[in-house]
Amino acid sequence: MFKQKKIARSVLGALVGALGLAGAGGAWAQSGPDCGLNTGKPATGEPIPIGAVVGKTGPDDFSASGQAAAAYFKCVNANGGINGRPVDYIVVDDQWNPETAAQVASKLVKDRKVVALAGSTSFVECGANAKMYADEGVMVIAGTGVPRECFNARNYVPVNAGPRVSATIAAMYAAQKYKSKKMVCIIPNIPSLGNWACEGPKEWGRKNGVEVETIAIDPGSADATSTMLQAAAKKPDTIIMNVPKGILVPMLAAAEQQNLGKKIHFVSSAPAYNADVPKAIGPYWKGNFDVNLEFNPVESAGPDNKNWIAVMDKYGAKSDPRDTFSQGGYVAARIVTQALLKMDPKKIDRAGVTDALRKVSDFRSDILCKPFYVGNGNRHNANNSGPVASPDGNGWRFAPGGCLTADDPELVDIRADEQKMGLK
Amino acid sequence: MSASILNDAPVQGIAAVPASLAEASRRAHISLAVMVGCVLLIGIAVPWLANAYWIKTLTSSLALSIAAAGVALLYGQLGLVSLCQYALLGAGGWIALRAGHGLGWPFELSVLAGGLLSCAVGMLAGLPALRLKGLYLALVTMMMAGGFQVVINVMGFPDGGAGWLGRVFGSERLMMPRPALALSDAAYFRYVAVWLAAMLALIELHRRTRAGRSWALIRRGEAAAVAAGVNILRYQTWAFGLAGFCAGVAGALLAGGVGQLDGRAFTAGDSVMLFALTVVGGVYHWAGALIAGLLLRAVPALLTDFGVNGYLAMIFFGVALLHALITAPSGIAGQLAGAFDAVRKRFARGGKEAGP
Amino acid sequence: MEDYLPFVISGLGLGAVYALSGVGLVVLYRSSGVLNFAFGAIGALGAYVAWSLLEADWPQGLAWCAAIVASMLLSLAYGRLLAPRLSHRDPTIRSIATLGFALVVVGFTEWYWGEQPRRLVLPTDAGAIDFVLGEVEVRLTHTRALGLALAVLMMGGVGLLLSKTRVGLKMRALANDRDLSALLGIRVLGVDTVAWVLSGAFAGVCGLLLANIVRLQATLLTFLVIPAFAAAIIGRLHSLPATVAGGIAIGVLEALAITVPGFAAFRTATPFLIALAMIVFFRTGTRQA
Repeated sequence: MFKQKKIARSVLGALVGALGLAGAGGAWAQSGPDCGLNTGKPATGEPIPIGAVVGKTGPDDFSASGQAAAAYFKCVNANGGINGRPVDYIVVDDQWNPETAAQVASKLVKDRKVVALAGSTSFVECGANAKMYADEGVMVIAGTGVPRECFNARNYVPVNAGPRVSATIAAMYAAQKYKSKKMVCIIPNIPSLGNWACEGPKEWGRKNGVEVETIAIDPGSADATSTMLQAAAKKPDTIIMNVPKGILVPMLAAAEQQNLGKKIHFVSSAPAYNADVPKAIGPYWKGNFDVNLEFNPVESAGPDNKNWIAVMDKYGAKSDPRDTFSQGGYVAARIVTQALLKMDPKKIDRAGVTDALRKVSDFRSDILCKPFYVGNGNRHNANNSGPVASPDGNGWRFAPGGCLTADDPELVDIRADEQKMGLK
Repeated sequence: MSASILNDAPVQGIAAVPASLAEASRRAHISLAVMVGCVLLIGIAVPWLANAYWIKTLTSSLALSIAAAGVALLYGQLGLVSLCQYALLGAGGWIALRAGHGLGWPFELSVLAGGLLSCAVGMLAGLPALRLKGLYLALVTMMMAGGFQVVINVMGFPDGGAGWLGRVFGSERLMMPRPALALSDAAYFRYVAVWLAAMLALIELHRRTRAGRSWALIRRGEAAAVAAGVNILRYQTWAFGLAGFCAGVAGALLAGGVGQLDGRAFTAGDSVMLFALTVVGGVYHWAGALIAGLLLRAVPALLTDFGVNGYLAMIFFGVALLHALITAPSGIAGQLAGAFDAVRKRFARGGKEAGP
Repeated sequence: MEDYLPFVISGLGLGAVYALSGVGLVVLYRSSGVLNFAFGAIGALGAYVAWSLLEADWPQGLAWCAAIVASMLLSLAYGRLLAPRLSHRDPTIRSIATLGFALVVVGFTEWYWGEQPRRLVLPTDAGAIDFVLGEVEVRLTHTRALGLALAVLMMGGVGLLLSKTRVGLKMRALANDRDLSALLGIRVLGVDTVAWVLSGAFAGVCGLLLANIVRLQATLLTFLVIPAFAAAIIGRLHSLPATVAGGIAIGVLEALAITVPGFAAFRTATPFLIALAMIVFFRTGTRQA
């Protein structure tokens, strides 16, 4: 009698144990990254073509944006796709050449008939292609936009804040922390950047009693020292660097050699926030260089940020950078996926997708400071806040105070659109 | 006495001269027709075979072939190296864009305006050639290209705005208005093919008339040319002007094809690459200009299409350039023409042997 | 005067850059008849090699030597394997061929090292010469002063090499007429080797200094040869002292151009404008190069 009970109990125990393990195993299968429908089953329907134009070969490599979006779409395809249909994601390199950008965009839009573009990041394609995108009725949710044309087009929606907004926040921070009254803003003299991106701090300054002057530099110039001396000759309290990181490093090196950091504070817009910059600029700038970020930090512990890392680890290559371009590409892919999931899978065509994307209005992610929206406006700059960081040894230290919102007078039409959409 | 010599001279010898001249002239007409015919055939056939990406790429290719023809003219006919032709292309494009956007001129007029300005600037650029030769001329023209690079970087190209510079601020950039009969990409490709055929014919006609003979004499040596009564100033400057005209027309057509031009894409390096690839294509044959255009636009587009890393493509290009310069002095066109000739002779010989 | 001093001093640094590259170009031209478009690219590769070795904690001196050796080997490879095959073509084609080589080297450098902000720090960066005039302070780092000194030294040294030594004489003969020199019994391949190795060593040194003074970025360093050609033109592709003086003058004037209100945006065109002005206003008869 006793023996039988013992055996029964041990068998029961084993069964429960096995069931428990099976249950736990099932839970493990669900604890991968969170993408799309999360069914765990690959999608097998008719593919949906989505494209991206990235600037890979040239003065800088922006391809991390396309790589992150590709990883996210791979994850979505492995988890049921868009209501059963996988995404066919095509990334092309515009080689930083506007003519090539027009050709490859033509290929995506007219030959491959993409329903939308997601995760594009290019310095040159906005000006070259904005009109074609508007004429063909296709929307672009870009990972990162840089020149003015990216933020002044009906069909182009950058997820980032842009150099003008970022420089304005940097200027606001300097006025707040260092009580600066006179600033100099340095910007490359590329046509739709040099006459636009430093106007943000300038116009903000005019309304807030801060004098801001602009120096436009030739990005191909071999002489950083003269530029820094020219800036210093204007006797500012703060110098706002609004240049790509490849030019930032030699300019800060020149400033260090002239010991300008002794009397002048240096701040910068978002391109300086990169894992390699603190080591490249060296210990001289510790405590005297503040950078505005367009997204929350790469190491932040928010759930969506962690999901991004998880997606990259599982579906991206080990050599893909995990930087701010990657964050932008991931967010763009998420926005497009969410909009597509709301559509009828049998009726996904370009016009429908464009409509669905324009309706995006309360997209939340802890990578972004505030909820994102697209809307019906003639231009898009929904992301206009960000935190501030400063280099600390080989890494970054984050300023208390979290996200600052830009008070750029040019954003008045964006604020009006936000009011109309009922957002705060 | 002289009459008897004439009477005794073999009738066949004297009569043969006009006959062989007529034969040569007939062959010359045929080769001109073949050239124009080939280009027009390309213009008709390609839009049916190619997709949107390739039509756009090949349109740019054909436009650049016109500029390459100008470079080949200067180097092939006169032995003069001009490393500023891409800058002249940019200047022509600038005028065409300004005329098209701001003045609303018809497309053909804008193209001609661009061509004429580049012709004038090209003639100015050619003035140093009267005193400088060889590498020195190459360096001087490269300095001009460098200067243009800086200026155009700052000024940018007109894109629909007002004012002298014609730059727009506050809205989307406008595309250059295309000619009424060539609005679609395919139609515009054919339009550019017609222009290419016309420009190649223009150069070819120059070569066959007095200008071509004068250039050949100048190339031989200035002493020979002066002794033969050639006005070196006039003909050398004319050559530079014609090459400039080619570059200007090419720039205007490129602007029409892409819709806009960007100031960052006109570096001195681009002018040097234009020269290098024209030499690789072949400077002694009209097909060389076509091949140069393909090398400048179609081959990089092919590599991009296959997803080849841009820098690996650069390595491939460098190796190809070295190889072509080392193994083919008259360029790829020269090698192709040589192969063609060999095949033709083979068949002719075979035909003769097979005859009765 | 106060306003101009900082730019004169910073222009000296830039001028050293142009002078060094100009001397390197003219040296190779005088000893092999080729204008080397790949000069900047070869030097840039050497600088990247030095950066990688310094990152791997090699001692400074060894890293520099490795950089210069890498440049010399590249230059030697071109000079012995590729240049002889073009020796019968005209000088322009031989120079354009070096452009092909430049594309290969730049493509490899960018592909292998990738695009990432880097800085080549040399120990001479730590010290500087201070210039103070009233309220204006400007510093000339020891690296730039070294660059200036090296430009003058190279000018003197190479000038002596070319004019006073047998090797120099043979190099000049070879550059003048290759076939005739071979007939006279000059060992063509041997002299060519010396010329290209020397040029490679200069490219390596220039590359290290330029990477420090300007920026460690392969494409930019490669296309810096174009303003350097302006310095070479001022020296008439022949006179080394004129090249050095021309390079320094171009640098100082380009820096001073910042103070000219309308011209500041165009100041990178200064080398080209000066070279063109020299050609137009100081012609001395027909010049064949």
